[in-house]
Amino acid sequence: MAAVMARLSVRQLSCMRGPALSANVNTNICDSTAKYPPILPSPTAKSRSAKRRRVAEFFDELRGLSVKDKLTSLTKFQRMKYVVYPQTFALNADRWYQHFTKTAYISGLPNKYSKSSHSIQDAAESGSQTTFSQIDDALFGEIRTLICDSLLQENCQVIKGRAFLYRALEHSIGPFLRNVASGLACILAKQSPLLRSSTFDSDPQVNFYWIRGKRNIPCGHRRGRPEPLRFQIDDRPHSQLRIQQQLPEFVPLGSEVSVEVPVVQHLPDRLPLFRRQYENSIYAGAKVDDPCCYGHTQFHLVPDHLRRDGVNKPKSGDHVEMAVRANAIASLFAWTGAQAMYQGFWSAEDVDKPFASQAIITDGQHFSFFCYQLNTLALTDEADANNTRKNLCWGTEGLRLYENINGNQVIGLNDDVIRLLVQFLLNGA
Amino acid sequence: MLKIPVHRCKAITSGLKQLCISSESGYFACELFSFRYGHRLLSSSAFVCGKAVARKKPRENVEINGLEKITYAERMHYVPGLAKPIFPPWECKHKDPFHHRSPSHEEMPLYKDKPCYVFHQRTNLTEGVKQSLWLTKSKLIKGIPARIMALVDDSSHQIENQDERVQNAIKHARFWDTSERRPPRERFCPTLLNSLLYLCRLQQGKYPALGKRLLSQEYSLSASWHRGEDHIQVRGKNGMLLNSMSPLPVIAEKDEIQNTVDTNLETFYPISPTIDLQSINVYDVKTDTGFREGYPYQHVHTLFFAHLMDGQHEMLRAKMLMFAFGNALARARALYGAEPQVLEKPVVLQSVATNGRLFQFMVFQLNTTDLVSDSGVKNLVWIEEDQPLYEYAKVRPLIKKKVVQVPAGLAGYNPDTFKKFLAFYLHGAV
Repeated sequence: MAAVMARLSVRQLSCMRGPALSANVNTNICDSTAKYPPILPSPTAKSRSAKRRRVAEFFDELRGLSVKDKLTSLTKFQRMKYVVYPQTFALNADRWYQHFTKTAYISGLPNKYSKSSHSIQDAAESGSQTTFSQIDDALFGEIRTLICDSLLQENCQVIKGRAFLYRALEHSIGPFLRNVASGLACILAKQSPLLRSSTFDSDPQVNFYWIRGKRNIPCGHRRGRPEPLRFQIDDRPHSQLRIQQQLPEFVPLGSEVSVEVPVVQHLPDRLPLFRRQYENSIYAGAKVDDPCCYGHTQFHLVPDHLRRDGVNKPKSGDHVEMAVRANAIASLFAWTGAQAMYQGFWSAEDVDKPFASQAIITDGQHFSFFCYQLNTLALTDEADANNTRKNLCWGTEGLRLYENINGNQVIGLNDDVIRLLVQFLLNGA
Repeated sequence: MLKIPVHRCKAITSGLKQLCISSESGYFACELFSFRYGHRLLSSSAFVCGKAVARKKPRENVEINGLEKITYAERMHYVPGLAKPIFPPWECKHKDPFHHRSPSHEEMPLYKDKPCYVFHQRTNLTEGVKQSLWLTKSKLIKGIPARIMALVDDSSHQIENQDERVQNAIKHARFWDTSERRPPRERFCPTLLNSLLYLCRLQQGKYPALGKRLLSQEYSLSASWHRGEDHIQVRGKNGMLLNSMSPLPVIAEKDEIQNTVDTNLETFYPISPTIDLQSINVYDVKTDTGFREGYPYQHVHTLFFAHLMDGQHEMLRAKMLMFAFGNALARARALYGAEPQVLEKPVVLQSVATNGRLFQFMVFQLNTTDLVSDSGVKNLVWIEEDQPLYEYAKVRPLIKKKVVQVPAGLAGYNPDTFKKFLAFYLHGAV
């Protein structure tokens, strides 16, 4: 009997039950509430509601899975996807990348780091002043020496051959950055318990795959049907610091930010961005089992064609700034997003606490500082419908670390930049 | 049968070959082998199967004195019956790197009649450590010096949660460092070395003297010396070099150094001591640390090697010794001058190499720069061989005959090896 019942459709069931129920109305009306099975669309039909049901069932199934299984399921389905290169030469890429990642860019650093522009009260609340006051002159002198010595070592004191074409920065600035990043972390480990248990990766790999927006398929047998736009970032930062606890948020999750996310009406092909199909991967520099699963700071080298001394065209400074900004937005979104997904969040289960990470992008002389706060992962069209949250990125323009190197001396070393570097690494202490 | 299309002939040929061998019919076999040349190999170019046509012998140019050749130079094209003109070699007016012809070795300014034997990063010494001991005039002592062993045994120098953090570093290098299933040795070996170095360096808060060091990723060394009749050089880039502002303390005291006078260097006659070294005639005799003058970190602390191979550990140890010696010699000459002498204050330097699992530890003490003769004071080297940091790091379990031989994951972790690594790093700063 049960098998027969199962084969009957919902409508038939309701017809069958109708007369029987009406006969019993008088007897059972008080004691029983009617127990109808919910009216659901068929799981197998070729209709929109049926498809919606199948998707909902799949999402429910996903919610109960472990993080590893979630990541496998979310990246298993391969289709053509746009490959986003963080270090791009495309013009105005930062606006496009903001649109893809739903990121609002705020010029200047969060209140935590700005000293002069905000009141002392703000700074005291965020706690940055107290952390920086722990740095006494001796420690600061040590840091200064480290930076000077590393600079001099790589610029003039090691006898080096000529670099390969377009590899000059990697050749000279790469070792400098590695020495400074790991050395600063080790010096400041005394102040910060987070850094004491940190891990330093050189030349790591960061991948992120996400879906945002929709397009109608223009031609082919599926013409006219909507299809989500898929994106993939495969990033290779120069080095990164990972920690065991999460970095504190820069602003609370619900706070109002007046800056809008720019909307680009065109398809990403116009940027230009190209579509490829290969394995989707979400990876934050280590697999899910690694206890150091939160990011602290990433260090990037700008590509060689964006060196400021090499670009002599008028307005080229803006061009470099734009490219660096685009790099920060794409890289930090990928890294922070991957961290959030490692905690089990995804587009249908949005983050309950903001994830934060930082980046420092340099060409050896100019240092740009960026902070990123991931407020939402709900970027697909369905999840984004009533979502007022947006991701936030703060950033500075390139700040000059030194004026020149003359003989065995660094001329015009800028202490403010060093101070900012120290503050960045002491975040969370 | 031999008229079938060529591309199908292979299977039949191989069958017939068997037949020929069994019936010993040599003539038939010759007929078949001639077919190889028309063979089409679809997986690669047909060219590889083509018969190489012998080059024609160039015609002899006969010079007859007093007879002027009539060439077609003026006509500017080939004319039958006229001789081919011979022009002087064309010289490009500007410098064109794509058509650069280097002069022959004999014409180069650095050419010398006496060859020099060069050791560089791709040299593999056949005789291993024994040969490099002869080349560097050193005496080998097995094990780690007592001064460093004291650091190893002292538990107060350990990092908090040491074993857990080292195991995490190993797991990161072997399992977690890639989005693929497992990273290759080229990746996990340097990653492991860097992670362990970072772990050691984090102790800077405890030992402030660690801040007086700087790592140099790529430096280029050149050191040259005479050994007997031969001129020997160590050249090129290899390994990472940790430089320090203060020198390492001397390991063997004066009486121990004096005792080395009596020891004899082991020879391996009839093999030449310079076997496998590259013999070159164009060379410059110089000794150079790889750093310019005024470099504040003027003392060598440790030389780190990432060995991207499984096996060849003897060659690796020989290479460690040669480069350690080269560095020590260059620093000693920079500090005490180029004259051969028994050093008043010996130069000490350490070397650590890993292939991602096994670690080699070495301490080298340069007592003398007088290397020509076999007699006199020798240098000292302490070597601790093949210390495993762990036994197995398996992504999938090793199963044989349905029995799990090695489980998946990290197995056989050996905490003593990292203690030695840490002691080497802290040596000189504690």
